[in-house]
Amino acid sequence: MIARVIVGTLVALAGTASLAALSHVPWAEDTADHALLRLAWRTRGVQVDECRRLSPAEIAALPAHMRREEVCEGRVLPYGLEVRLDGAVVIDDTVRAAGARADRPLYVNREIALEPGTYHVDVRFRLLGAGNANDETATPASLTFTATLTLARKEIALVTNDADARALVLRGHGVVP
Amino acid sequence: MPRISDALQRCSRRVLAPLDAACNRLYGWRHNPLYQSGTIAVALLGVVLITGVYLLFFYRIGEPYGSVARLADQRWLGGWIRSFHRYASDAAVVAVAVHAFRMFAQDRSWGPRALAWVSGLVLLFVVLVCGWTGYVMVWDAQGLTLAREGARFLDVLPLFSEPIGRSFVGDLEIPSAFFFLNLFLHVALPVAVGLILWVHVARIARPLLLPPRPLTWGVVLLLLALSVFVPASIGPEADLFRVAERAPFDWFFNFWLPFTRPLPAWLAWIGTIVVSTALLAIPWIVKPRGVRRAPSVVDERLCTGCRTCYLDCPYEAISMVPRDDGRAEFVARVDPALCVSCGICSGSCAPMGVGPRGRTGRDQLAGVKAFVAALPADHRAAVVIACTHGAGRVSTEVAVAGVRVHDVDCLGNLHSSVIEYLLRSGVGGVLIASCPPRDCRNREGPKWLEQRMYFGREAELKQRVDRRRILVVYAGEGERGRVLDGVNVLHARVAALDQPGVETDIEIDLECEPVPEEVTP
Repeated sequence: MIARVIVGTLVALAGTASLAALSHVPWAEDTADHALLRLAWRTRGVQVDECRRLSPAEIAALPAHMRREEVCEGRVLPYGLEVRLDGAVVIDDTVRAAGARADRPLYVNREIALEPGTYHVDVRFRLLGAGNANDETATPASLTFTATLTLARKEIALVTNDADARALVLRGHGVVP
Repeated sequence: MPRISDALQRCSRRVLAPLDAACNRLYGWRHNPLYQSGTIAVALLGVVLITGVYLLFFYRIGEPYGSVARLADQRWLGGWIRSFHRYASDAAVVAVAVHAFRMFAQDRSWGPRALAWVSGLVLLFVVLVCGWTGYVMVWDAQGLTLAREGARFLDVLPLFSEPIGRSFVGDLEIPSAFFFLNLFLHVALPVAVGLILWVHVARIARPLLLPPRPLTWGVVLLLLALSVFVPASIGPEADLFRVAERAPFDWFFNFWLPFTRPLPAWLAWIGTIVVSTALLAIPWIVKPRGVRRAPSVVDERLCTGCRTCYLDCPYEAISMVPRDDGRAEFVARVDPALCVSCGICSGSCAPMGVGPRGRTGRDQLAGVKAFVAALPADHRAAVVIACTHGAGRVSTEVAVAGVRVHDVDCLGNLHSSVIEYLLRSGVGGVLIASCPPRDCRNREGPKWLEQRMYFGREAELKQRVDRRRILVVYAGEGERGRVLDGVNVLHARVAALDQPGVETDIEIDLECEPVPEEVTP
């Protein structure tokens, strides 16, 4: 009987200890010692409206309260994103506006793993196609960021869009000499 | 052709049976934590709720990490209450997993039990999501990883106008609305847990929601001691500008992270949907094909309206309805959609007018008559009546320790007249080998068996039957030894008694006494 109580207690304690152990297992989603260059911003982009006149037959087919002579559909123009590290192109991509009709803002969210060290970073975000980028509320036709960054292990440098300055800026780590 | 699900269930039972037997030896069947896994989970969720209310007073959505770190530093109260909250949550997940595994292994997931299975899985999912929000609340390295992973999953869905993942890139401060919404979910989800738990037990009568007190206190004190001596850690504060270092993760709640993290979010969704669907479909996968366990039926000519079967049914499948033939006021009626064919009503009916076809009291009586007729004269010293699901699996054998075995689908199914018939026909003693009460496939079989044997519950074993010749032993599937010990005890007991009388023309009394009004629930 006593032996049973002792063994029962020990088993219960072992189970409790296992619970504590499995509740605190060290883990990292990324065990490598690299640094990260993160490009993340949201811009309104440049909107263009494409309008066309409806034919009399098309107008007649519409309910009376919806009849208009001209219909317009707006869309946001795509931008090209190019990232060079020490002169080598690491990203050359087209960023399209979000939404099924491409009428939502443009979102950039990329991460580039880097060995710790110093890099010359050159980011270009350029309007593709013709649109009125001179409007103060629209995103400039070209956003650029050029700097030399030094990143230690596990550090993250963020290049993002400062909407007030209408320019790409650096946040987080990365020393600009 | 053997099915994979059957093989899986067999393998699961092979794992479960020795573990059950070991826990029975150490803690006794009353306090076997494996038997009580479901009730332990409920008790622990209660602990989580109580400790959570305390923690809520100290949490600040404007300073998530700081407020939790201050709590963790409170040596005398906040620290251990936070640890208790967390360890109880972990233990609840383990208890739910064990409970689900038991139900799968013991084939207790399909038919009318499908609702309990599905709601149980939904319950587990909600508990896991609740834990997810809880870890995000702490806002340490683990919290940030979980928040990012959640955002990654949600951003695949065409639901949000702005990608949620953008909140964690670091260009803007994380809005306090995020922490408020997270806190709201963490507080609101337990309400959903309560509602789903209600659905989970909706189809069973007299659901037990808490384990026996010694077990409750044992579990609580162990977790309390753990909380005091090994406080739950808190990782480094979430830093949006650093790749996370190794930090402590809780694998009870975050076991899925290593699987989903390397996958694209859409693939993780597909994997989650496939696994969830497979688990939810288990009741339909494991359901035996071709062989239908017939629901109970009532022979209305025999029903006296006594309500015992209605009271005893563990699944509330029997109702009493007014009858129109001028006899007693009510007649029992079985709802086949709710009946799991446990046969407990067979054992409850003195006139033997209810039960699944082939297992009514009358069928059992016919079976035992044939059994006795085939019993060799030198095997009449004792007989074992064994449950086919547990009881050391002796029901699969013709004889155990030289004693003939008469098998019954569940001891709650056993009609007392079977025992009376055996003893009056000259059998020296009857060993009733039942599953332990908390391990009964039909929930309340052993409970009603004991009531009918010793406490006069309908259909009671008549007073004229010598109880000294009856021994009830509780043995799980892996406890053949207990049955053998029982046979030896019975032999010794019978040897001390006079030679039993042998009746040749046995008349079994089939009268039923109406249940008094006050016992109606």
